[in-house]
Amino acid sequence: MSFRWKQAEAPVRAADGGDPVSQRFSDQLIAVLPRLRRFARGLTGSATEADDLVQAACERALAREHQFQEGTRFDSWMFRIVQTLWIDHLRAREVRKEDADVAEERLGSDAPVRTIEARLALGEVRRAVQLLPTDQRTTLMLVTVEGLSYKEAAEVAGVPVGTIMSRLARARIALQQHLETGGGSRRSLKNAEAQ
Amino acid sequence: MQKRSDETLVAYLDGELDSAERQHVEAWLAADTAARDRLAGLAQSATLVRSAYAEIVNEPIPERLIAAARGETGGSPAAVPHEAEILVLKRPHRPIISMPAGRWGIGVAAAAGLFGLMLGGAGSYLATGGLNSTNSAAEQRLAAAAAHSTWLDNAAGYYKLVVSAGDSMLIDVPAGGDTGEALQKISQNLPQQVRLPDLKPWGLNFRGARLVVVEGRPAAQLVYITDNKAIGPLTLVIGASKLPDIQPTFDRRQDVNMLYWRHHGRAYALVGQTDIGYLWGIANDVAWQLDAI
Repeated sequence: MSFRWKQAEAPVRAADGGDPVSQRFSDQLIAVLPRLRRFARGLTGSATEADDLVQAACERALAREHQFQEGTRFDSWMFRIVQTLWIDHLRAREVRKEDADVAEERLGSDAPVRTIEARLALGEVRRAVQLLPTDQRTTLMLVTVEGLSYKEAAEVAGVPVGTIMSRLARARIALQQHLETGGGSRRSLKNAEAQ
Repeated sequence: MQKRSDETLVAYLDGELDSAERQHVEAWLAADTAARDRLAGLAQSATLVRSAYAEIVNEPIPERLIAAARGETGGSPAAVPHEAEILVLKRPHRPIISMPAGRWGIGVAAAAGLFGLMLGGAGSYLATGGLNSTNSAAEQRLAAAAAHSTWLDNAAGYYKLVVSAGDSMLIDVPAGGDTGEALQKISQNLPQQVRLPDLKPWGLNFRGARLVVVEGRPAAQLVYITDNKAIGPLTLVIGASKLPDIQPTFDRRQDVNMLYWRHHGRAYALVGQTDIGYLWGIANDVAWQLDAI
């Protein structure tokens, strides 16, 4: 999968005769990369696709550095770019996510049994998240995983706070129901906590 | 007033209700066993979701993403990332269920206090703190802990950038000449004037200062270098804080040691790879010189 876009939108490097990319802007971008990868992983369900998405988001952010407003949250701005690219991608490809990507998760063969069980269960949680509709999944990742407030999540998603509330409630209830019927996850909580 | 719904319970867990709404929900929960079970289930599933994605932020970052963040990709096939740089800010001593920055911890903590849920790190905190849903001081401590953790992650990340850049490190305000003028420049972007601690007695020379962004707000990163490779570079990050004062406290991110403290609206983090005894001595000196203790 590629998230490339037309050349004109790519960042212009100093070596190409353009303005150098702001060091401070790049530093901020690097600092937020771990969370962008996590957010993207939640959206795509795949490590490879997530990194492709984050790379595309970095390139778009650098191309549009001038649009970032100092004094606003940089992470929220980047989350919005990631989300926008992902929606564009879904619209273009009209593909539905399948859970085959879970095979990418690596389980250490020499890990204790308890760890393996916990990771399997956490993989089950990630699969459950992937079954949610895109808007609910995005909201869940922004609020429950990334810790944004409802207001901040609403700004990222471009929807009213009330919509965030209802999406989040639906997502959490659907997830809870799935985990209750899926089995194993509740047992795994103790294992996960024990890590 | 919120109606009695799942939306209300979720918002309660996320700390999104105001005081009156919270009291209303707590009265409801006190009288309704089914609602309490519902809340406990919602809290537990949220904890599982956080756990499922917690480790991703500790994974090494692929160099192609570092290159992308530096503008070295972007449709230019010739753009080859230079030296590989892996930024790993792992917290090995923390439980897998970590608490990201944000407000969600407040409501979860309140719910846990009410119903005895064990929620990873928060759970153990509650167990020792005797938290209940009306204990606003404890809620504040939890929220502060979450925010503080991210602040320190960033301080360690900026230190890693200094180390990886080496001599090519970009300095907003270089040392030499009038340091007062230099600090004046940095302070223009900060709520208060930054002063420069003299660390020459420790063998550390001021290399310059950088303006960084921590938690969405500008902060000063003062960079000190030394010829002693065992000590390596050291940075002092000074930012604004609305949290209560705390004494110097040790923390660690992978191979980076940190001492942090807050004093009169400012947060300080002394960051380096030298041993903790050395950091303690320097931190005390810094605090004394800056009247920051």
